[in-house]
Amino acid sequence: MKHSACMKLLSDLIDGETLTITNLTTNARMWSALHGERPSFYGLNMGLCLPFAVGVALAFPKRRVVAIDGDGSLIIETSSLITAADVRPANLTAVVFDNGVYAGMGETATARRTDLAKMAEGAGIAHTATLRTMEEYEKALRAALAAQEFRFLVAKVERDDTLPFTGSYIKRSERGMKESFVDALKRLPDYPGER
Amino acid sequence: MDAEPARLIIEALKEEKIDLYVTLPEEPTVSLTQAVQADPYFQCVTVASEDGGVALTAGAAIAGRRAVFVTGIAGLLKGGLALMHMGPQYGIPVFILASYRGDFGDRSGISGSKLQVFRQVGEPFLQALRIPYQIVGERRTLKRTIRDAHFMCRTSDMPAVLLLTGEVLW
Repeated sequence: MKHSACMKLLSDLIDGETLTITNLTTNARMWSALHGERPSFYGLNMGLCLPFAVGVALAFPKRRVVAIDGDGSLIIETSSLITAADVRPANLTAVVFDNGVYAGMGETATARRTDLAKMAEGAGIAHTATLRTMEEYEKALRAALAAQEFRFLVAKVERDDTLPFTGSYIKRSERGMKESFVDALKRLPDYPGER
Repeated sequence: MDAEPARLIIEALKEEKIDLYVTLPEEPTVSLTQAVQADPYFQCVTVASEDGGVALTAGAAIAGRRAVFVTGIAGLLKGGLALMHMGPQYGIPVFILASYRGDFGDRSGISGSKLQVFRQVGEPFLQALRIPYQIVGERRTLKRTIRDAHFMCRTSDMPAVLLLTGEVLW
């Protein structure tokens, strides 16, 4: 599967009410182009995407939260799988785009023999899947986004030689990005904090 | 930590409407964590690493939920990279209570030389990140310090750390 095609489908299936959290580089750059002004926190550093998303999901228990992570980011903090399995927010979906390499670094492999979905299963996440075709991916993604339980999907993707869409996330200050996210959250009727 | 400081901390957390308690359990604060787990007011999340604890607490805090991360000074150092990102980089109000292992009075069985490293590195580390912190060693000031630190944390968009020691901890 093409990474960009998988991202595009995810964007098409997510409504404006869903909160998304991304890791660094490729995911953040593509998502900022696809996702527009829908509330999203972009570019969390290696290993921090999934636990951060768990925290957001706990703050908005009635709203769908999607963690958009990468294989390199996940494997640097695999203990987050254990925490996520323990907390298992029913409103959280994690999608890991596994291209097998660190960002655009060519043949610098992340994990050559590791099955991330099995790792997640071993950590205690009840619903995991590895997806290798667009048909499998779309079916599993639609089901996960509709489910009232935590699901963890690993999409095996090919690296795009050139990204067909790149957003402006990289040009914005991270404080500015955060403020935009917080402002969007504060406009939501179920925001739990002070406005 | 005995029952009284645990009670005072819980009262202060409730007064601050902090109902999400995130921790990687460690010996000096285990009585606090057990009391929190027994109290239905709190949702208690046990994390498997301090980096994840900082990130999870940050995610909740940025989304408007009042949360605290309870760890030790060694855990704070372990979670240092995450703290750097959530603090100086993003400006997210992560509120942290950390046992000050290695401060005077620590007779908990870890070798003194190991404890001294925590003492030597802990505060300079927080200073390097420019994260506000305060040492709390008196029970009579505990509740007020928690309230004041949490107020500064959530109104300044920066983490705040209270290092628990002295008669609060030992």
